[in-house]
Amino acid sequence: MTIPAALLDESAEDLFETAPCGYLTTAVDGRFLRVNRTFEEMAGREREDLLGKRRFQDLLTVGGRIYHETHLAPLLRMQGSVREIAVDLVRPDGSRLPALVNSVLRYDEAGRPAVIRTTVFDATDRRRYEQELLHARRREQEVALELQRSLLAGALTEGEGLELGVAYHPADKGLEVGGDWYDAFWLVPEETIAVVVGDVVGRGLAAAATMGQLRSALRALASTGFEPGALLEALSEFSRRHELGQMATVAYAEIDVRLGLMRYACAGHPPPVVVEPAKPARLASDGRSPPLDAYSFWTDRPDASLQLPPGGMVVFYSDGLIERSDRPLQAGLDELLASVDELRDARPDTVASSLAQAAAGTTGSPDDVCVLALRRRPART
Amino acid sequence: MSPSERHNVTVHGPADGQPMMFAHGFGCDQAMWRFVWPAFSDEYRVVLFDHVGYGGSDAAAFDRHRHATLDGYAADVLAICDELALDDVVFVGHSVSAMIGVLAAAARPERFARLVLVGPSPRYLDDEGYVGGFSEEDIADLLESLESNYLGWSSTMAPVIMGNPERPELARELTNSFCRTDPEIAAAFARATFLADNRQDLERVRTPALVLQASDDAIAPRPVGEFVHDRLPDSRLVLLSATGHCPNLSAPEETVAAIKTYLAR
Repeated sequence: MTIPAALLDESAEDLFETAPCGYLTTAVDGRFLRVNRTFEEMAGREREDLLGKRRFQDLLTVGGRIYHETHLAPLLRMQGSVREIAVDLVRPDGSRLPALVNSVLRYDEAGRPAVIRTTVFDATDRRRYEQELLHARRREQEVALELQRSLLAGALTEGEGLELGVAYHPADKGLEVGGDWYDAFWLVPEETIAVVVGDVVGRGLAAAATMGQLRSALRALASTGFEPGALLEALSEFSRRHELGQMATVAYAEIDVRLGLMRYACAGHPPPVVVEPAKPARLASDGRSPPLDAYSFWTDRPDASLQLPPGGMVVFYSDGLIERSDRPLQAGLDELLASVDELRDARPDTVASSLAQAAAGTTGSPDDVCVLALRRRPART
Repeated sequence: MSPSERHNVTVHGPADGQPMMFAHGFGCDQAMWRFVWPAFSDEYRVVLFDHVGYGGSDAAAFDRHRHATLDGYAADVLAICDELALDDVVFVGHSVSAMIGVLAAAARPERFARLVLVGPSPRYLDDEGYVGGFSEEDIADLLESLESNYLGWSSTMAPVIMGNPERPELARELTNSFCRTDPEIAAAFARATFLADNRQDLERVRTPALVLQASDDAIAPRPVGEFVHDRLPDSRLVLLSATGHCPNLSAPEETVAAIKTYLAR
């Protein structure tokens, strides 16, 4: 097969005019000096309408023009070239052409910027696909958030003998939901309440789904009469057998609100804070064992107990409340104790929301924050 | 982390010189001043920094509450001044940082000697009896542009940049590095910038100010510069023949000369 001679005439002029991309030269302020035929077609304008009359940025959307002035033009000046800048060209009929732009700055003999050479590529399909991806990502975040909300929804247990407050703040940065959860339910109505705060490893839809399963499993196991430590090991066994929630941490407590007896255990979870009237806040640091399914064998998980006097308060939370990149963990715990002390007379819902808000408001809190505060009502006089 | 570490502060010139602080605008980092600051470092103690999320700053210091308005950025500027004990400061702010300087000077006038406002606008949105140049749809359109231009911020690149703050050359080697930022931070800064209304704050400024107005500035057109000059109690307006929104890059000689003339007064 022979190639027609006319097509082999690849003069510079022809290469320029019919290049498979828009090709143009502008002055440094953007005024058109030269454009090829492909660009005329893309822009929907004849060169007579462009050369000397308009600037490249005049053909962009207003948002694109701001972007041009604040990003593209300064970048070009600083590094001599820009690549893959996305803009929309607006045609005279109002239609838009999504495009990708590469530019190089050409200098005169004295080294001063003289002209800008730009190529423009039609990016209609690519942009549509990117937008689909962006929407899909946003949708997944929404679904995860909805799932998390629906799992955590439902009125919290209220009762004669106690006041309860919870707060949940998603991470300040990053759009994916985390795997923190809280729960509170009566084991024996008006007598013994079970309280849970847990934290599943990971983020997003998968973490939210795992959280839901662990939360339900723990609810089911709580009614079987296990002691708190044994219950957490049963939950760990559940996690191991079904391969979900490995290394999740859980704090679990059963509180007899009439007698003030609290029995609890923490699987890798930070210790609850206990506030007794007229005493400084302290950590309930007993009853500790490793996170769920941390080892592939049965783990002995001890219980602990403490006496919560009338008016006393206990605060459960996830590690997002105390862990920050810019300070050691102990500093976080000390700060938490001080904050709880300041809030010791506040209602539990105020305590929970104040603590969560303070943590979320600080810089560098990359994690979700979950707080549950419970106060044993003072004895009636 | 101290404010100067968070904001990648770089200092040039004599330690006992009068402090001259350069603040970059929306979009890129302190490199925006590369053609300007060397003209002042013989005489002044030049202080450059990056706003949170830009350049070599600590992006983890971005706080969506603090940085939801320009007041948060002004507080960042004052935190740097406090840490470095800067007094009698000549503050040079480009674009939105002109207003950040206005807010900082209004809040703590004792820190500042002069303001140099390059392409300032106290409000970008049109309002009754005021032409800012933009509508809310325009700003929505800008946010879309930002979304389509993640400039080297893919999830594979971000850890390289974020994880090696002590090796800025890693980030520098990548294209578009001067304007790279987390898209979420860029969107927040765009909202704080383009939805701000700081017209009332101009009258609170006691610090003498120079307004540098480029010709044909699409972001802050001349009537806006004149409005700023009119409302500031003590200001001079200088019209530059430079075109565009970044005379500090496109006409550094003219920009330097105008600042020097003003400071010599």
